[in-house]
Amino acid sequence: MTALAERPYGRAGGGSRRGPRSGGGLALLLPALVPVLVFSVGPLIYGILLAFTDARSGRNTETSFVGLENFAELLSDGDFWESFRIGMIWGLSVTVLQFLASLGLALLLNQDLRLRGVARVLAVVPWAMPPVVVGLMWRLVYHPDAGLLNGLFGTHVDWLHDFSFALPAVIVVGVWTGMPQTTVVLLAGLQNVPKELYEAVSVDGAGAWRRFWNVTLPQLRPVIVAITSLDFVWNINQFSLVYVLTQGGPGGRTRLPMLFAYEEAFRYGFFGYAATLGVAITIVVLAVLGLYLWRQAREGD
Amino acid sequence: MKRLSAALAVAAVALAAGCGSGNGGDAASGQNGEPVKLRFLSLAWQKESIEANKQIVADWNKANPKIQVEYVQGSWDNVNDQLVTSFEAGDPPDVIHDDSPALSSFASRGFLLDLTGKVPAELKNDIPQAAWDTVTFSDGKSGQGVYGVPFLQESQVLIANKKLLDGAGVRVPTPDSPWTWDEFADVAKKLTKKGAYGVAWPMKSPVNKVLNLALNFGGTFFDTQNGKTTVKVGPQEREVLQRIHDQLYTDKSADPSALGMGTADPLPGFFAGKYAIVPAGVYLRQQVAEQAPSGFDWVTLPPLKGQTSQQGAVSQTLSVAADSKHPDEALKFIAYFLNGPNQAKLAKGDWLLPTSTTAAKDPALTTKENGWDVATASAKDLVVAPFLKVNGFDEWKSKVATPAMQEYFADKISLDELAKRLVEEGNKVLERYSR
Repeated sequence: MTALAERPYGRAGGGSRRGPRSGGGLALLLPALVPVLVFSVGPLIYGILLAFTDARSGRNTETSFVGLENFAELLSDGDFWESFRIGMIWGLSVTVLQFLASLGLALLLNQDLRLRGVARVLAVVPWAMPPVVVGLMWRLVYHPDAGLLNGLFGTHVDWLHDFSFALPAVIVVGVWTGMPQTTVVLLAGLQNVPKELYEAVSVDGAGAWRRFWNVTLPQLRPVIVAITSLDFVWNINQFSLVYVLTQGGPGGRTRLPMLFAYEEAFRYGFFGYAATLGVAITIVVLAVLGLYLWRQAREGD
Repeated sequence: MKRLSAALAVAAVALAAGCGSGNGGDAASGQNGEPVKLRFLSLAWQKESIEANKQIVADWNKANPKIQVEYVQGSWDNVNDQLVTSFEAGDPPDVIHDDSPALSSFASRGFLLDLTGKVPAELKNDIPQAAWDTVTFSDGKSGQGVYGVPFLQESQVLIANKKLLDGAGVRVPTPDSPWTWDEFADVAKKLTKKGAYGVAWPMKSPVNKVLNLALNFGGTFFDTQNGKTTVKVGPQEREVLQRIHDQLYTDKSADPSALGMGTADPLPGFFAGKYAIVPAGVYLRQQVAEQAPSGFDWVTLPPLKGQTSQQGAVSQTLSVAADSKHPDEALKFIAYFLNGPNQAKLAKGDWLLPTSTTAAKDPALTTKENGWDVATASAKDLVVAPFLKVNGFDEWKSKVATPAMQEYFADKISLDELAKRLVEEGNKVLERYSR
């Protein structure tokens, strides 16, 4: 708050105005801050603290601090790392495929097409669906007997319960669900690319591909970096979609880290260990993201 | 500041209200002549069964204006997640429908009321001790308790195409003289022809099926010594695993493509004559009876015999939450809900076996029609499944046993490798629970 009050124009207005200004600011800020503290920061701190305890589900359990024991256990927990590997495959492939598909769609929707408005609205429809509904809908698509997919190809594959098809099948759904927001953001980015640049390269005799490579992509770069990092965080933390589609099956082939943590807590009752998993996932995601943003920033310079 | 204090005031009122209802409120209302309210979480899902459940609740409510029961519909898919959260929040339903494998961990965490000495004698004597064994668990400290009233049980039978059996000229087994596993293997081979298989083993969830059947040869899979449980896969445990595997890959009398199926999924193939025999729980008879094309002749065959015909049993149960404010009233309701005539209704609705000995004598449950006589007779061979008492079984099952057995039946790993994984990875899991 003091930092805010020390701003240049506050100083220019003279000392007398500084007091009431900061006081009023605090009062105005508090109502907005209280929910954040109560519903966001509080549980976060509680979760982090929980990660250092042996908390378990039950009326007759006693909880004590165990220091870093949970983290030591985590390092040697093969099942978790397997789940983490699946999470990384899921997170990266969904993000990349989502980006490529959305970029294509955004470029298309940016053209002067007939019914462009309708097409834009249709592209956003999946956004309006809750993940659970999306999951149920796709479960019907993948249904081995009555499903649209087997009907279309005349195959008889149980997509969501087959050891090798389950993860790719779930990834397709993930890409589909996440496309609208990525498309919208990229479309907005495309519309901000100055027309003069295109005119300039056209004068140089550049074709469509050169225009895309030398103008569109570099201009879109900040938008791309922002949306892919957001998508990655969003995807790696995905829970409801996979929970509805496969519940982590078959044999753990689609057990994303979040699902793993959920099972630890609510199925087996190890609250402390599940909190540790949450903290660990956060740390790793931050690290991956930090590396990516740092590299992008360096290349951007 | 005004908004903040208003928000705080609202929060304070809400908190106070929350605490208030947790303490005095309801108990007092019970004494004031207002009816006691109970919530009953039911997991009935078949149409007939839901009707039977609701009917019994309605009858009770009419006869007992002082104890009103609210029927709450739950689902087997997520009931245990739902219960964990409501137990932890301290607001569980009073009467809980679940099954015995789930009770063990809830009991050891202290969420369920110990019913020892509280069940009315009439109900207690109507249910055989073998069934009570399926709900007797450690209380998480040093004692044992009874954490539910068992009421519906399932046994594994064979459902067969009568025409194909007769065509192959095989002996039709009876409860007094069932097929042995060897005889079953021969029959399955005889029934296997071009494009048709003797048997379909739906093994999407193989663990309970294998563990329950393994008792035919005395296979228990778990060994408890000095309070420490370990996994064991010896010659007895291997019998059933090996025999099913042989049918799939040596005799080729079982269809490998049925492996990924759930219990009901082979039915279309069964009706089309592609599979002559489908091993299944007794409840599948309902779907067979309902969906079979007209003129399709099917029979229920008694459980197979190894050294014995014993099968591991789990029960559907009604329990009382430890946090329930009206445990006595809840028990009264359970005693009514599970009396002989009502259990017969419930068993008919779910096509399962009642634990009540009076209910088992109900003519509707001993008729030849739809194989009820064979199904009801199979109840005598049910013994408590050894895995019920194993703390951490659920995690062993989902993390270790299910994937390993699926891979074994898909012929991706050998029996030795399966045994090794079940034991080594399994013991690691079980260790977490003995700390």
